[in-house]
Amino acid sequence: MAVISEQRSIRLLVRDDDLHRNRVTVLVRLFLAIPHFVWLTLWGVAAFVVAFVLWLAVLIEGTTPENLHDFVAGYVRYATHVASYVLLAANPYPGFRGAPGYAIDVEIDPPERQGRWGAFFRLILALPALLLASALGGWFSSGSAGRSSSWQPSSGGNERAAWFFSVGGVAVAAAFLAWFAILARGSAPRGLRDLTAFAIGYGAQAGGYLLLLTPRYPTSDPSLAEPYADLPGHPVRIVVTDDLARPRLTVLFRLFLAIPHIVWLALWSVAAVVAAFGAWFAALATGRVPSALHRFLAAYGRYATHVGAFVSVVGRRFPGFTGRAGSYGVDLDVDPPVLQNRWKTLFRLFLALPAVIVASALVGVSVVVGLLGWWYALASARMSEGMRNLGASCLRYNAQTYAYLALLTDRYPYGAPVLEGRSMPIADPEPAGVPGDSF
Amino acid sequence: MGALVAGAALLLPTATPGDLSLPAVDVDSAFGATLVDDAKRYERFFYATWILAQIALLTTLWIYARRGAGLTRESSAGPIGTGMLLGMLGLGIAWLVGLPFRLASQWWARRHDQSDLGYLDWVVQDWVVLAAEFLSICLALLVVMSLARRLGERWWLPGAAVFVAIAALFSFVAPYLDYTTDPLRNKALLADARLYERELGLPTIPIRVEKVSNDTDQANAYAFGLGPSRRVVFWDTMLRKPFSKGEQRVVLAHELAHHSQDHLLKGIGWFALFAVPGAWILMRVTRRRGGMGTPEAVPLALLVVVVIQLATTPLANGLSRRMEAEADWKALELTRDPESLEGLMAGFSKTGLGDPDPPHWAQLMLGTHPTLADRVAMARAWAARTESR
Repeated sequence: MAVISEQRSIRLLVRDDDLHRNRVTVLVRLFLAIPHFVWLTLWGVAAFVVAFVLWLAVLIEGTTPENLHDFVAGYVRYATHVASYVLLAANPYPGFRGAPGYAIDVEIDPPERQGRWGAFFRLILALPALLLASALGGWFSSGSAGRSSSWQPSSGGNERAAWFFSVGGVAVAAAFLAWFAILARGSAPRGLRDLTAFAIGYGAQAGGYLLLLTPRYPTSDPSLAEPYADLPGHPVRIVVTDDLARPRLTVLFRLFLAIPHIVWLALWSVAAVVAAFGAWFAALATGRVPSALHRFLAAYGRYATHVGAFVSVVGRRFPGFTGRAGSYGVDLDVDPPVLQNRWKTLFRLFLALPAVIVASALVGVSVVVGLLGWWYALASARMSEGMRNLGASCLRYNAQTYAYLALLTDRYPYGAPVLEGRSMPIADPEPAGVPGDSF
Repeated sequence: MGALVAGAALLLPTATPGDLSLPAVDVDSAFGATLVDDAKRYERFFYATWILAQIALLTTLWIYARRGAGLTRESSAGPIGTGMLLGMLGLGIAWLVGLPFRLASQWWARRHDQSDLGYLDWVVQDWVVLAAEFLSICLALLVVMSLARRLGERWWLPGAAVFVAIAALFSFVAPYLDYTTDPLRNKALLADARLYERELGLPTIPIRVEKVSNDTDQANAYAFGLGPSRRVVFWDTMLRKPFSKGEQRVVLAHELAHHSQDHLLKGIGWFALFAVPGAWILMRVTRRRGGMGTPEAVPLALLVVVVIQLATTPLANGLSRRMEAEADWKALELTRDPESLEGLMAGFSKTGLGDPDPPHWAQLMLGTHPTLADRVAMARAWAARTESR
């Protein structure tokens, strides 16, 4: 089965993936990828030279020659394959031609007419997308001239290429953790795979936009991941009821307006840490967190989510100070306390480390979303829906991480970057009790 | 009302002789005609920007008082949180409106070598101040709105008391929070300090130095703290040329006199005398918007507070000048050096381009200290009085 993302000029395809990964190839994957790094570098150099020709073509003709377009598209597709392989989102060793059909692939539309002004300022216009792509970690870029390979189906001649892969951000954090999980279990955690695929997909969009394959600006909306990712039920859920309007006045002073909240959050954090220790002892002794402590810690998590949403322009309104359920447009829904596995409780701090690593990387994404969203909202008095939803998705994962740490649940945070999952079950039910099994 | 009058009567006495008449001072000869012209030209710009900034501020706050309540829909918080939002937004708008005037003033000061602060540093500094103001207004509204929601219209008396208590607490604690100063190393000046403290009946008061010479050439010193937290701080620009040892001693004596005459405590007393009727007026005016317990009243309250502040500025400045004159007089009594006080004023005018004889309205609205000419006159009056004894 292949599922295709929403109708965009550059669409990510995730083909059948049973999540099985060969431990031996995963162990030495970076070394195995060396030939691809070399080839991608060479191809990338050529692609950037060709992209310059595309740029001139768009400025003169308003569109790009099909054969040159296909050459650059082949490079973006190949880079996606290599990134998927290196970041453990896919298992098979990719081919060197960037031919369609790889486990994680991109589908790129033929050339279309492009605005000349948009093309002229493409490098500047692409900067926000590249910034977000770098925070997501699925970003790639290339340089220096070269000749094409005979493996390249769409290119007309011999060119040399060079590339470099920029690593960092969420995808790298997810791949780092997936590496350990795969070596232990032989299969990739589904949530992390989906998160990495999403980051790679956004990187492909950003790269395609930069290299003039499309005039459409990349979208970071996590709904793009819905065709291949799923969000299983979780006791901690994010509920977005906010609209996208953002009055400029409250946007302009957003950080300053958050000052009383930051002070209050800092004070509340001290009490929350003490309460979390109390909850830990209680859960160890009785297997359950007392209702009063659960309510207190849930209110704190909800409040932190409200404040995070407000600061990152994901939320519109000034939040209240009590973390009351249903009081904010980007809210946290927390189930009541249930019995928890005492072993998981005992080692909670240790078990939470992988989630904390991913959450930290997602905080970086939230910061970029807040920064870009601030400018966008200041200019348009609206928040971009894609960025709003991506920000909400980051907040959801961070809230689930907090909930896991603070004993609100023993369900592990789930990494898939979607806000609402399909109701279908996850394809790979994984053994219970294994740390990181439900990222 | 009687209590207010009694309080004022208690705070008003001064060590400056009541029958002291200040001789006329020819500012051109005392400060130099060129310097006076330069200073007048320099200060005129600030007067203009100050007037324009006040007009812009009042107009903005008037509009905000009429329309600001509509911003309550941008809050998911309760009444007090929403009040904080409206307070902060009002402050933010006022900051934005005042920004061009502050920027113009900074440009003018840099143009006249009165500030070495770069624009980037200036912006950052401005943001830090704004952040502190946002926090302060939140705290103030938390106090007022909590009391108003609990006590209704009777909030104003305990409200004023809480603000006075906060002011006293801040005055007491501020020296302990200071991390920008270093102890004074000048042994001669320290010996003078111990001498003056004995004469004024003060315990040993720490004398500290604040490094400002990277940002400005202007010179200053100040006294702060209450009881055991009392301190005197010199700007490092005060401890170098063109200021002589004698002039530095006059400054030291002046600042110690602030402590010996309990000026900071008296300042809090005066604040209390202003705060009580001020809070009452605030209560009365905001009544038609539902009172200070409702967030819709906050934009109007901001306007009222600014108007009250502006209206009481001449009185507050007059009281401040009275205390400064008293400190000058005590400094003259301690140092018995009127020439140094005169030289000091000439130095201030030179380093700070201060107008020795500003227009009357400017002194009324902006003058927290006697004019430089008046201070020179006081030095001469003290000398004449001493000679005639």
